Amino acid sequence: MTAYFIRTAALLLALAAGGCGQHKGEVFHDQFFAFGTLVDVSLYGVEPRLAESTCRKIEMDFMEMHASWHAWQPGPLATLNGRLANLEPATIEASLLPLLKEANRLSRLSTGLFNPVIGNLIALWGFHGNALPIGTLPDRAAIRELVAQAPSVENVTIRDSIITSDNPSVAYDLGGFAKGYAIDRAIERLRESGIQNAIVNAGGDLRAIGQHGERPWRIGIRHPRETGIIASLEISGDTSVFTSGDYERFFEVEGRRYHHIIDPRTGYPADNTASVTVIHSDAATADAAATALFVAGPAEWLSTAHNMGIRYVMLIDTHGTIHMNPAMQSRIHFEPGIDANISLSAPLQ
Amino acid sequence: MTRADRILVLLIVCTLPFLYVHYWFGNESANFVLIQSGRSDPVTETLQPNRRLHIAGPLGESVIEIRDGRTRFVSSPCKSQVCVHSGWLSSTGGFIACLPNRISLTLADQHARFDAINF
Repeated sequence: MTAYFIRTAALLLALAAGGCGQHKGEVFHDQFFAFGTLVDVSLYGVEPRLAESTCRKIEMDFMEMHASWHAWQPGPLATLNGRLANLEPATIEASLLPLLKEANRLSRLSTGLFNPVIGNLIALWGFHGNALPIGTLPDRAAIRELVAQAPSVENVTIRDSIITSDNPSVAYDLGGFAKGYAIDRAIERLRESGIQNAIVNAGGDLRAIGQHGERPWRIGIRHPRETGIIASLEISGDTSVFTSGDYERFFEVEGRRYHHIIDPRTGYPADNTASVTVIHSDAATADAAATALFVAGPAEWLSTAHNMGIRYVMLIDTHGTIHMNPAMQSRIHFEPGIDANISLSAPLQ
Repeated sequence: MTRADRILVLLIVCTLPFLYVHYWFGNESANFVLIQSGRSDPVTETLQPNRRLHIAGPLGESVIEIRDGRTRFVSSPCKSQVCVHSGWLSSTGGFIACLPNRISLTLADQHARFDAINF
């Protein structure tokens, strides 16, 4: 009896001590800076050497994409914008072609609320670089002029790899879309390496495939007005979760906040939304939709989501009301102590 | 049962509850901040005791303060000072980055409830 007890206790001791080590070893984490933000890759159950080499490939992909797609640093997109400004046809670099086509398609679906050709407006506000503008507002007349010129993807024609524009104010800025597209490419890269369980998280926007062992991936959603988490959800299979918020990039003048999500219709930051969270399969669509729905605001988010084929939306307006569709409500779990004032919409088909 | 057996049983019985609580319920000292600087591996710092850390980045030195289980950027050689104005991080999953100086702070917990934070 005594020997049995000792053996059992020793076994329990080994299990208790060893369990945590195994848990620590299950997920491989890698981080690097790209697209002006921190990219975090989590891989479940992957041999460390394969994980490391795959993450380095993803990092190189991100660096190349950032260099090619930057609207204001010398590179293919800046060159293309220069020619469009002079109403000259431009040859689209191979890596940019599918990106621009997809951006144009999503812009049309959003009825222009996601507008990838308002680069001049973004630059006027100073949100085109990594550093934020400090303490100065753009000239009102300059904003009015750019809004009146109304650059839109409808001004643009792409045939084969040649792009033309009939509006000199068209300037591509893919800031509301490129990160999602890059995440999709990273997921492709992981799958090429045979990795089936992973999260690619670029500055808080993510796509997850597979799951964390025997359980789904657990995602916390940041509160737009407080530190910490407002809600959580579990995802598995292949799911992107994107949030656009007015707290991400902003500056303040005389106590008023001016954030980076510009309403193309007014030329000013969209002012009725604090954050929008979108769940969708691919990250590029989720990225563009989060921007479009933020601009759409409480009055127009439902029709915009419907037009863009989005089935799960949570929009928190600047008064704190949480607008969501029933399918989203069934997936979201609010944190204890969150006093959620929910406005439930009609179902999204 | 010999005297050695009795000592061994006593040792195991005393150790098991500690290990169980330590690994499955966590403890305060397990809360930590992950400090990432450029391409280096993240540095893990516990949130106790109170102290200041000087972290080198491409623009110069950023000063990180850890006090009463929280952390923040005290100073950083960036133009915008967004990282400094972001204030204290106190909740698991909280994140601040000084992008120009390529330094980020992420609050984490040994038994974090989330695999990723969406923001």
